[in-house]
Amino acid sequence: MASSIQESLNAALASIGGWITSGLEWLGGIGRIGGQAVLRGLRRPFGFYDILYQVVALGVRSLPLASVMSIFIGMVLTWQFGEALIGFGAKNAVGQAAALALVRELVPGILALTVGAKMSTGMAAELGSMKVSEQIDAIASLGADPIKKLVWPRLVAATISLPLLCVWGNVLALAGGAVIADVVFDVPSDYFYETYVDELWPSDYLSGLAKSLVFGVLVGLIGCYQGFTTKYGTEAVGLATTNTVVATSVSILAMDFLLTTLFLPVQ
Amino acid sequence: MEVVYELKSVCKAFDKHVVYQDMSLVISAGETLTVIGGSGMGKSVCLKLMLGLLHAESGAVLFKGDEVSALDYHGQRELRRRVAMVFQGGALFDSMTIMENVGYALREHTSMSDSEIAERAWECLEMVGLGADRAILTRMPASLSGGMRKRVAIARSIAVRPEVIFYDEPTTGLDPSNIRRIDEMIRKLQRELGVTSVVVTHDMPTAFSVSDRIAMLYDRKFPFVGTPEDFKHHAVTEVRNFVQGRISDGAQR
Repeated sequence: MASSIQESLNAALASIGGWITSGLEWLGGIGRIGGQAVLRGLRRPFGFYDILYQVVALGVRSLPLASVMSIFIGMVLTWQFGEALIGFGAKNAVGQAAALALVRELVPGILALTVGAKMSTGMAAELGSMKVSEQIDAIASLGADPIKKLVWPRLVAATISLPLLCVWGNVLALAGGAVIADVVFDVPSDYFYETYVDELWPSDYLSGLAKSLVFGVLVGLIGCYQGFTTKYGTEAVGLATTNTVVATSVSILAMDFLLTTLFLPVQ
Repeated sequence: MEVVYELKSVCKAFDKHVVYQDMSLVISAGETLTVIGGSGMGKSVCLKLMLGLLHAESGAVLFKGDEVSALDYHGQRELRRRVAMVFQGGALFDSMTIMENVGYALREHTSMSDSEIAERAWECLEMVGLGADRAILTRMPASLSGGMRKRVAIARSIAVRPEVIFYDEPTTGLDPSNIRRIDEMIRKLQRELGVTSVVVTHDMPTAFSVSDRIAMLYDRKFPFVGTPEDFKHHAVTEVRNFVQGRISDGAQR
């Protein structure tokens, strides 16, 4: 009996140890590919065309999704706050209430979770397919550097695109909120706009943008790393893509918490 | 004859799976050496070690006397300009046209203009028998048949005029007429460009057709190296069995 408990305990500890080891290996791998990308990417030529191509592929082509997400986030949050504020007879403060939550948290966070996950899974699937079909080896065999050719442009493009999408998303979330304030709560949209903007300080915009920037780095690194470490076979590409969604979402939420504690220190 | 590649006591493993143990091999300039052996024994690993895409745990892989794994960034680029590889599935870049695929290494290694690259790409495609219609330059890899993709991959490999070409299972998955065409092409490139070729295959007709020498991978090394004639009448049972197709793979003791 005692030995059976001991064996189960050992197995549980070994399992936890395995999880920790693979987690550390994963983090190490992410750090390594990021370091290599920066070191090699900053060597001439900088690959502006490849970066621009990826900005279009990752950023511009994500505009429709980012727009829809942002409008709905703005509308839903304004509606929820409006309902709560009516009870206090303070529905006119809906702009102030929605502003901070949207700009500092929800627009960067939700866009990273949706658009960012779309970007990183796209990278993982594309690079994973290239790995499986030996195209990454082919790039190396032709004398080019796969990290510089494939990782660097995607990393830079994701880092640029997410903050820009966040700026665009802030505008649309405000517009969505103004429509709901006007139509549902009879708060004039220009009044909503004024109270919304008055509530915000530049630091609020900057903290949202800083979050988007860090999320963009995470999205680029995770997508590329998962793609580059895809094993062999088409099933592996599917697995890499699935793992990428999970890794991206968890990493973004964890990083969001960390950044929030940094930007909003406990009083 | 000048030695191009020398592999000395190479050991290579993937986790616990040992692929090479104390393996040695010499490749001379201008010859076509074919590496044969069962599936999954590590024939392609040998090519990747020689190209610096993989590194050995111990031993040395020397290209013209220089240790491949010790080459710096510029040394590796230079190696890969001089040594080209044709991958098993072609490994053409899906998002690029045939011209961009064939001209890829030229963009990396030379300062040729777009029109010069297009002209060189066309020359290479003509060399591999794809010169009937210039429209092929703007086609995408997905629109080509398996045999054509392999030939485009060969055209891509010769674009920078390499000294050595590695062929990783060049005839796998092709019909007999395409197999013959690829075999003839390997011979033609050796004849016309004077390249040293290393062909990895388990297709014995190809091995006999293209080789000056054959090396058989067995027991994690190359204990049997000889001419095609030697292999046709080999005294060792394992070699005879493999050549005559009696077993599909060698021992991994």
